[in-house]
Amino acid sequence: MTTAPTVSASGLTVRYGGRPALDDVSLCLHEGVTGLLGPNGAGKTTLLRVLATAVPADRGSFTVLGHDPGTAAGRQEVRRLLGYLPQTPGFHPDFTAFAFVDYVAILKELTDRAGRHREVRRVLEAVGLSDVRARRIKRLSGGMRQRVALAAALVGDPRLLLLDEPTVGLDPEQRMRFREVIAEAGEGRTVLLSTHQTEDVAMLCHRVIVTAHGRLRFEGTPAELTARAAGRVWSSTERDPGARAGWRTGMGTFRNVGDPPKGAELLEPTLEDGYLLVLDGEPAEVASV
Amino acid sequence: MRDVKSDGAAWHADAEDLRAYARGELEAPRLWSVDTHLAACAPCRQALAEAGDPLAVDLGWERLDAELDAPRPGPVEALLTRFGVADHIARLLAATPVLRASWLGAVMLVLAMTVASVYAMDSPTVFLALAPLLPLAGVALSYGPALDPTYEMTVVAPLHGFRLLMIRTVAVLVASLGLNGLATLALPLYGLHALSWLLPGLALTATGLALTARLGPVLAPALVSGVWVALLVVAEATVHGTPLPFTAPGQGVAAAVAVVSAVLLHRLRDRFDASPAHPLSTDFAHRSTS
Repeated sequence: MTTAPTVSASGLTVRYGGRPALDDVSLCLHEGVTGLLGPNGAGKTTLLRVLATAVPADRGSFTVLGHDPGTAAGRQEVRRLLGYLPQTPGFHPDFTAFAFVDYVAILKELTDRAGRHREVRRVLEAVGLSDVRARRIKRLSGGMRQRVALAAALVGDPRLLLLDEPTVGLDPEQRMRFREVIAEAGEGRTVLLSTHQTEDVAMLCHRVIVTAHGRLRFEGTPAELTARAAGRVWSSTERDPGARAGWRTGMGTFRNVGDPPKGAELLEPTLEDGYLLVLDGEPAEVASV
Repeated sequence: MRDVKSDGAAWHADAEDLRAYARGELEAPRLWSVDTHLAACAPCRQALAEAGDPLAVDLGWERLDAELDAPRPGPVEALLTRFGVADHIARLLAATPVLRASWLGAVMLVLAMTVASVYAMDSPTVFLALAPLLPLAGVALSYGPALDPTYEMTVVAPLHGFRLLMIRTVAVLVASLGLNGLATLALPLYGLHALSWLLPGLALTATGLALTARLGPVLAPALVSGVWVALLVVAEATVHGTPLPFTAPGQGVAAAVAVVSAVLLHRLRDRFDASPAHPLSTDFAHRSTS
């Protein structure tokens, strides 16, 4: 990348009790959509919270477009550049979709009424909620609420979008719609999106980061992650005990990743295969596949 | 009349007036005649459509559209804006849990029961002891992750945490002290003495907030309430007659505590910036991690 990174972090460490939730994570984020993949407990949410200035790092530091959130003034600037969708977004259930996004816009310092309302209409349109904007949030479905939260993250045209598992709990059609909105948001902005769906990454992201146990395991393009599994995926009729991971496919055969035995029938690798291999060394996580 | 001229059988509006009308600049009474005439005359409506500046018409539609879209504010919000509160502040206040009807109703119920007990026991002490705790509880409950479902979004908002806290505190104080005041009016027998909850109430609220910066949103108000109750129990047990906090010296001390705590609170204001090292957010962060 030739452009300066939007976010550069070095040595981010967060401990809860004695356990490190984030362990010496250094990374750079550039314009476009970056996927953050990892199993539960990998530190994805903690990383997003730290970058969103919701939780402090015990060690390490980061900047957003040159602003250092370690100082009060820098933190304020970072928050002005930020759109954040928390893992479990909360709502005021009696507010309408419009009123809620309007409320978040006020928290983002948009005080001019006409301009703010225009902006709220824009983001509700972007997430496809224009028709239900006057409905109270308690009367909206889960997928719609998730979109209200995304609209709240998008309001004010933030340069940096942090989305914590935005596609979780959505049906396939909603997920497609969400991906479209996020892909659009990624044009001219920096988006970091955590997910445990490799599909999201394959379809959306130009960069991917894999974390496990609070540590960075991989950073690169989705193609590079897929390439990690080149020549390391094979099919067999029985579960291959030598494989790092193996599962029965719809065809009845087993798909294995790891070090193939001689003469094995090699398969075209996918992003998921690469992800599993990168996670390898975390037997508890891989065994459950 | 210059604006409406005869044209055979019908009257038609003057072109210049129609342009002024389209710009919204035509003044009464000429405005009224054109208005009435337009309702009855299709050719003039057509002429009006041509006379108008298309950009202005678009803007007008957009404005109308935006107005229709704008959420109809709830009763609290509508009341606040009527009293001259800016609409964005009113929205922030409407999101304050303790300004909801359910909370205010509960407070009124408690106050009514307390007033009844004052008459039953023929002593205002229960009322005077309880009333100062209500604003403290209200302020405590309007801040922090426990009751604000959008806490995590609020924390990372650029709007300064202390500013939001103060906006809400003032509103909660106004509501709470207002209700206490109404309850005081129901106790005319005791005169000004029935108002001696006010200074302790301010002292407890200010102390609770100032300590929140250090002890967090749960421990601080709980501690302050505990000290208040203990103080009253001790005062009741040792002194006959009016308990100490409600005597003139006690009121003086309460006023002094309120002022000192308010100054302290102001000095600690940056801690409410939900700054990361804050006890408020650590409790929250522990709740779920992945």
